This record gives sequence, C-alpha cells and structure tokens, in this order.
Amino acid sequence: MTSDAELIGRSLTGDRDAFVEVICRHEAAVGAYLARRVGREAAEDLLGEVWVAAFESRKTYDRSFAEARPWLYGVALNRLRRYWRSRPAEDLVPDVTSMATGWDPWPAVDDRVDIQAVLRAALAELRSEEREVLTLVAWEDLTVADAARALGMPAGTARRLLHQARMALRNAPEVAALLNDFNSVKGSL
Amino acid sequence: MDEMDLLSQLKDVPPLRSEAYEQARATLRSAMVESGAAPVRAERFSWVRNFRVGVLGKVGIGAIGAVAAAVAVATVATSTPRSAAPAGAAAGSASKAPAVSSRLVSLASDITATDGPLPGDASLVIRTQTVANRAPYVTYNLYTDGGDVYVTDTEGALPAAIAHHDNLAEPEDSREVAAARLAATGDLAKAREQMVNATANPWGLGLSPAAAQEAWDKAMAEEQRILREKGVTRSPRPRPTGKALEDGINNVLWTNSVDALARGAEDPDVRAGVLRLLSTIPEVTVADSTTGGQPTLTITAGPAIFGDSAQEVLTINATTGLPVSSAVSPAPGQDPADATPPSLETYQSSRVTLANIEAGKF
Repeated sequence: MTSDAELIGRSLTGDRDAFVEVICRHEAAVGAYLARRVGREAAEDLLGEVWVAAFESRKTYDRSFAEARPWLYGVALNRLRRYWRSRPAEDLVPDVTSMATGWDPWPAVDDRVDIQAVLRAALAELRSEEREVLTLVAWEDLTVADAARALGMPAGTARRLLHQARMALRNAPEVAALLNDFNSVKGSL
Repeated sequence: MDEMDLLSQLKDVPPLRSEAYEQARATLRSAMVESGAAPVRAERFSWVRNFRVGVLGKVGIGAIGAVAAAVAVATVATSTPRSAAPAGAAAGSASKAPAVSSRLVSLASDITATDGPLPGDASLVIRTQTVANRAPYVTYNLYTDGGDVYVTDTEGALPAAIAHHDNLAEPEDSREVAAARLAATGDLAKAREQMVNATANPWGLGLSPAAAQEAWDKAMAEEQRILREKGVTRSPRPRPTGKALEDGINNVLWTNSVDALARGAEDPDVRAGVLRLLSTIPEVTVADSTTGGQPTLTITAGPAIFGDSAQEVLTINATTGLPVSSAVSPAPGQDPADATPPSLETYQSSRVTLANIEAGKF
C-alpha cells in the first residue's frame, strides 16, 4: 500500500485525490480524537477545518515518516486550541496550570459519571503538555515517539512528560483510591 | 490495573456520523479547489474550478500556468492579427470551421512534415514553477507513450514511483491528447469540440440547445451546493450567451490544449494539433520572440477568456513547437488585491525509455 508520505508527496505535485486518500485513511481516528476532547457535535463541525489546515500545511510534512496520523493529531490539536480559545468565557473554567500555553478546556468537562469525573478531574490537574502526551498514548494508541511527533517535541521530552503525568495521576488521591478498589476486587477473585 | 488502564475507560466515544465525514471531505475539496494551488499536473481546471473562482472574483487559468509565476518571458517583435472565430462555433456548432491563424497553422504543418518517429517510449518533462516571489518548485514528470503518468519532486524518486505503479494518469489525460492528435490531421471543428469535452464542463458543447441548457442547470445546482457549504448565498446564474459563452468555452479549450501540450509535447502530432486548436481562439495573439538566444513564439491568451483578471503567455520554440515556458500575469488594470499571483513555469523535455528510468539511468 502506498504510504501516507508518498500520497502527501503526490498531493504536492498536484494530485489532490492523493491527499483525500490520506484523509480517508485517518478520518475515523481523527474524528474520535476530536470527539474525546470536545464531544461529537463539535467534532463534526471541526473535522473539515482540520483537513483544510492539514492540506494547507502539507508542505511541512516530514516525509521520512511513512504514516501521517501523528501529524494529523498535531494539526487537530492546533485547531482544538483555536476552538477552545474561541469559546465564550462563561462556558469555561480556567485552569491555572495551563495559562502559560493558552486556554485549557479540561476543567470545564462535566462530571456525569463518578469514575469519569474522578479521572477527568485528575487530568485537569495535569499540565497541558503532560495531558496531551498521556491521552495520545492512552486513547489514540500512539507510541511515545509518535506522540512527540504530534506535539512537535523531542521524544525524550515526551517520555519525561508521560512519566510525570502517570505519576501525577497515580498519586492523585481519588485515582489512587479507584486503583486500590479495582485491584483489591481483582485480587480477591 | 494501572492508571493507563483506568484512563482507557474514557476512550470510547460515539463515532461521528457518516455524513459528517462526507461533509468534512467536501469542505476539504472546496478548499483545494479554491486554493488553486495545484502545482503542476493533475488537478485539471474543471468547470467547477473555473466557474467557482469566477464567482469568487478570481480567475480560471490554464493548468500549466495556474500556479506558475510571473516573469514575462520573451520579447514581442511583431504581432499577427487574428481573424475572429464565428460565435456559432464556440456556441456549439461543430459544422463551422473556425478561423485559424496562419502563423500557428504554418508551424503546425512544418512540425508534422519534418518530424519523424520518436525515440524511446516515454517523455520526461522537468517543470520548474515559480509563483510570485516564492522559491522555484521543480517536479519530474514522466509521461509514457502508453498513457501512464509518474510525478515526483526529485529525479531519484522516479524509479520507485514506477516500481510501485504510482500511476497518476486520469482519463482526461488520454482524451486531451487524443483530441490534439485529431486536430493535427483531422476535422478541426470536431477536434475542438472533443478537446473542450475532454474534461467536465457546463457548456454542453455539441449538444442540442435543450440538452445544453440541462447541462448548465445541473452545473448550477452543483455550484449552489458547494456555495451553500461555504456559507455563500448567491442566485443561480443564467447560461451565458454570445461572447460570454464563447469566452467560457475558449477558457476550457485553452486550458485543456495547453495541458495536452505539456503532457504530449514530444509527439509532433500533439504539438501540431494543439497549435491548430489554439489558432481557433479569437482572444489568442501570436508574436515572434527570442528566448535564451533561440527564436520563439509567444502565444498570448488575452484576459477575456480568464474573466478579465489575468492573461497567460505560452512560449514555444519557433521551429519545433516544443513548449518553453508558460507565464501568467494579472490583467492590465487589475486591482493588486484581487490579482492572480504572477507565475512562471518552464519546461525541459526529453525522450527516454521507461526501462532506463526505472533502472535509475537518466
């Protein structure tokens, strides 16, 4: 199968269908990435904008990487940041831990389910870079190296951020209690 | 279970609806069309592009010059006055022979009379594009005599493209080349119609008035759909008539003909046919020029066929008809804010064998 990198190369020489083929390969994954972060409705609105942004920036794609999905996640994240910045202030609760890098939406996520609420609260306590690396690995099944690609940072930095995020999550009292409960139940079976 | 397992419980989300994916792809395609950023080949200037950019106040230009940049090539020495093609021909009457330019037709005859069989089995065309003040962009385009097309941005990548069968040929490619060949020796009016209809367009050339109107209405409906997606409200336009219709048809004729020339330049019949086809466009003027010390012809397509916002100058070798360059520039008096970026594309063609290229022998 032709690699994403080759298709992007073709698109740069005028073959627009080649770029659409890249999009088709990753639309479900990128759609889910967006939905996990802003919900399905907003994700559906944003997906086309992500594709346009990716098309416009395809010249920057490093074609030494055969697969484009991490890059597309990075493009999607940039679009999400714009989306979050554009939300009315009253809809959002600022996260002081991420003010330096712009608006952060995680604290505004609702608490519908206890476990989810605990996890989301714990995620909201993380630095945004830590959270991005963590969720790219946990939810999008990226390797740390690919998460680093998506976020435009050295792999070593991503590895350190992932470690910090996992430690912070594990040591959060509510998460620690959940883990203790789960592992106790499992151990007693 | 660890924190990563726990976190995975937030992983599942309802999938996006299928129509959302379709809508997103449509948004992308609209942006691609609007950007007009198709370098080199491929994205041919379908009626959608021409039409939509016209709606948005830009211009549809020939495929070769679409991106390409702007340095006017060559110097004009003398200009050959052109006789006007009858409006009826443009409006779809294939029975009327269009007027032709003696200069272009004369060169076309010389090409077909003097050029013998071609060596090799493919043409390698190195295109160098420069848009406005950007860095030149070079692509290596291999057109096989069998109709395959391989395009890469480094010479060294061509063997792999061939090995992987990354054939970028589209059905329009062969239709355009066939129309050019027909024009070289056959019925010019028929070839003209064939060249226009090589790509999708809203003009309905060669159809009955009712069928032509139906084609237009269908095109308008599609345009409305695209505009709605972009949040633009605009009433459908009536089908042009007279000179406006002729200009629209000639836009497609010019675009497809120049596309065919770039693709099949090494074939004398294609060169000759394209020259004969271009000679039927009243808005085209021809002048002698010199490029790099070599005698050339500059063939200028005036602003009328580009919505009065741009013009394109195709420069060809005055003896062989091989393309040298294509330059696009804003029409005189165009508001710089709305102007088509000036662009220039140069061509370096040679005959090769597919086997040698695949083996890395250039």
